[in-house]
Amino acid sequence: MKRRKFVATLMVGIMACSVLTACGNSSSQNQDSQKTSGQTSSQTSSGEADKQSDSNTEAPGGVQELSVTTWDNESSPQFQAIIDAYEEKNQDVKIKIIDTSADEYNNSLGISLSAAQPDPDVIWVKDMGSMLQMADKEQLLPIDEFISRDNLDLSIYKGAAEQLMYNGKSYALPYRNDWYILYYNKDLFDAAGVEYPSNDMTWGEYYELAAKMTSGEGSSKVYGSHNHTWQALVTNWAVQDGENTVVEKDYSFMKSWYEEGLALQDNGYIQDYSTLKTANIHYSSVFKNQQCAMMPMGTWFIATMMQSQEEGETDFNWGIATIPHPENTEAGYTVGALTPIAISAYTDQKDLAWDFVKFASSEEAAEILAKQGVFTGIPSDTAFQTIASAERFPEGESNIEALNYTHYSFDRPLDPKIEEIRTVLNEVHEMIMIHSYSVDEGIQELTERVAEIKGW
Amino acid sequence: MSNGKTSFLTSEQKRKIRNNITGYAFILPNLIGYTIFVFIPVIFSFVLSVMSWDGSKRPMQFVGLANFVEIFGDKVFRGTLSHTITYALMTVLPTLVLALLLAVLLNNKLKGVAIFRTAFYFPYIASIVAVGAVWNMLFQPDYGPVNEILKWIGIDNPPRWVVDKNWAMVAVSIVSIWKYMGYYMIVYLAALQGISNSLYEAASIDGANGWQKLWHITVPMLTPTTFFVMIMLTIQCFKVFDLVYIMTGGGPGNATKTLVNYIYEKAFTSWEFGPASAGAIVLFAIVLVITLIQFSGEKKWFKDL
Repeated sequence: MKRRKFVATLMVGIMACSVLTACGNSSSQNQDSQKTSGQTSSQTSSGEADKQSDSNTEAPGGVQELSVTTWDNESSPQFQAIIDAYEEKNQDVKIKIIDTSADEYNNSLGISLSAAQPDPDVIWVKDMGSMLQMADKEQLLPIDEFISRDNLDLSIYKGAAEQLMYNGKSYALPYRNDWYILYYNKDLFDAAGVEYPSNDMTWGEYYELAAKMTSGEGSSKVYGSHNHTWQALVTNWAVQDGENTVVEKDYSFMKSWYEEGLALQDNGYIQDYSTLKTANIHYSSVFKNQQCAMMPMGTWFIATMMQSQEEGETDFNWGIATIPHPENTEAGYTVGALTPIAISAYTDQKDLAWDFVKFASSEEAAEILAKQGVFTGIPSDTAFQTIASAERFPEGESNIEALNYTHYSFDRPLDPKIEEIRTVLNEVHEMIMIHSYSVDEGIQELTERVAEIKGW
Repeated sequence: MSNGKTSFLTSEQKRKIRNNITGYAFILPNLIGYTIFVFIPVIFSFVLSVMSWDGSKRPMQFVGLANFVEIFGDKVFRGTLSHTITYALMTVLPTLVLALLLAVLLNNKLKGVAIFRTAFYFPYIASIVAVGAVWNMLFQPDYGPVNEILKWIGIDNPPRWVVDKNWAMVAVSIVSIWKYMGYYMIVYLAALQGISNSLYEAASIDGANGWQKLWHITVPMLTPTTFFVMIMLTIQCFKVFDLVYIMTGGGPGNATKTLVNYIYEKAFTSWEFGPASAGAIVLFAIVLVITLIQFSGEKKWFKDL
C-alpha cells in the first residue's frame, strides 16, 4: 500500500519533471537552430558559433553577447558585413543574430517586444511605420542622451536623422537609404536599336518608351517595362512631386496615376497584375530573365544585380537611369525610404547596444556597405564613387549620374497609423489593378476608409 | 502516510484518494499544457476584449463594450462575418455529400480499395501550405490547367478564380472540399461498418435496388454521423484561416477575408488587441452555439438508437 502510494507520487513527480524538461529541451533546440542559421548565413563567423551556444548573455572571459534582429540575412550582405566588421573590431563582443523572413519580420518582432525580454538588444527597423508603432508603444529606447553625451554629429546624415525623430525624440539612426531609380536591359535596347532611357524623362516619355520596347508574343514576349505588385509602384509617382502623401483626406490626386498604370497593363506593355499575383512572381526573376526592358525599382536592387552578375547567374548588360519625373517637376525628384537602426527599450546592455548602433551608422560602416553596393544614411560623393567603381557596377558616366537626386519624398509619411493605412492601400490597389473596382470607386473607398482610421 | 492507524480516514476513503491521485497523475501532463497554452489565454482574451491594449508595457485600460461597438461598426468586420458564413454555406454541404458517396463506394469489396481509400485520404494529411500553393497554380487564370480544361469544354470566359472578387471564395471552398472530404469519408466508413447487413438482405428480398437501399437504409442509419460531421465541418469553416492566408491572403481587396484573418490583422498589424479579442469572442460565441446544438442533438440521436 505504502509502495503504491509512493509509486503514484513518484509518477506525478516524474511527469511534472518531464513536462519541465521537455520545455527546457525545446528552448535549447531553438537556440541551436538560431545558432545554425547564424552559421549558414556567415562564413566568417562559423567558428565562433560554438562559443555562442554556451554563453547566454555573458560568457566566461568577459565576452559580452549582443543580440540583433535581421530579416532575410542570407540573401543580402547588408547586415552580415556590418556584424562581421564590428566583431572584428571588438573581439570581446559576440553578436547573436535573430533572423526572420522579411514577410514575418514586423509581426515576430512586435510579439517578442511585447514580452519585454532583454533580447533583442539592437533592432534593424524594416519600415519606418513599424518604428513609429514601436516608439508609440515605448518599446524603443530614446537615444538623445547618447547623442549629446557622445557629441555625435548628425549633420553627416544630411537631415535624415532629424526626419526619423518622432514627437521631438530620436529613437533611431539612419542605417540604409534607398530610393527609386529605373533599371534597364542594355542588350534589349541595343537589339531594338532604341536609345537608352535618359536621366531626364517624364513619365509620359517613359510610357512611350515602354510601348516601343514591347515585342514578341506568348512565352517569348518581352515587355517594355515591369511593375511589381506593390501599391508603391503606382502611388509613389503620385507623391513624387512632394505635394501629397499617401495619407490624405482626398485621394483624387491618384486618379491619373492609376489610369496610366492600368493603361500600361491593359496595353500589354507590362505584365498583368493578376498573373504576377497568382504565380507569385518576384520582380528580380523578371528582370534577370530578360523578360522586361525596363523596371522601376529601389536602389537595393543594385546590390542584387551585382551579386547575380558576379555569381554568373545572369550575363547581360544592364544600366540605371534616374526615375522618370512628373510633368510638373524637373528631373531628380525621387521617392524613397530609410532603414533605421534602433535599440530596444528592454535591453540590459544599453551602452553596448548604443556602441553597435553608432558603429552601424558611422562613416566607416558606410564605406564597408558601399563596397557591397549598399547605400547608407550618409550620402557622400565618396560613397557614390565607391559604389560606382565596384567591379560589377554598370559602366558609363550616365549610370553614376543616375544616382543623384535633387528632391526626396518618403514613400509613406511618418504617421503612427501608417501600417493600418497600408493594408487599405494594398487592398484597394489590388481591386483596381484586377478591374474589380473602377479607379473612381477605388479612390472613394480609400478616402472613406482612411478617414475612418484617422478619425476624420 | 505510515501512521495509518491514527488516521481519520477509513481504508475505503484512502483507496479512493489513492485512485484519484493515480488518475490525476495520468492527466497531469496534458492538463498542465492545456492550462498554460489554452485555458489561461482563453480567459485572458475575455479580459482583453473589454480592454484597450497595444501590446506594450503600458497598463491596459478598461473600455467596457467599446471594442464590440467598434468592430460591429466596422464595415470590414461585417464583411468578414458574411464572407465566413458564405464560405461555410459553400463548403459544408458538398464536403458532406461527397464524403458520404465516397464512403459508400469504397465500402464495397473492390480490388485495390485500400489504394483508393489512401488516395482520397491523402489530401487531408498533406501540408496546407503546399496544397494552397499548388492549387493556386492550377487556378492560374491565364494558363492554369483548370481554366484550360474549362476553355476546352467550351467555356469562353472562365472565372479568374483567386483574382476575381466573386470567384475567389469559391476557389478556396473547392480546395477545402477536396482536402477534407477524405477525412470525413473515413468517419463515414467507420459508421458504415456499424450498419447491420441483415437490413440490406431484407431489402434485397423485397426487391429494392441500390439507390433505394442507399436512400432508405444507409442514409437514415447514418443520421447521427451526418449530424456529427455537419457540426464539425461548420465549426471548422468558421475557424478557417490558413487556407485563405496561403491562397488569397484575404484578397482580392478583402473579398475573402474571414473572421480569423480579421482577428489576426487587428492583433498583429494594427496591434489593437482589444478589438481583436472582441472579434475572437464573437467567434467563440458562434462556435459555442453550434456546439450546444450538437450536444442537444447528440442526446436526441443516441436516445433514438
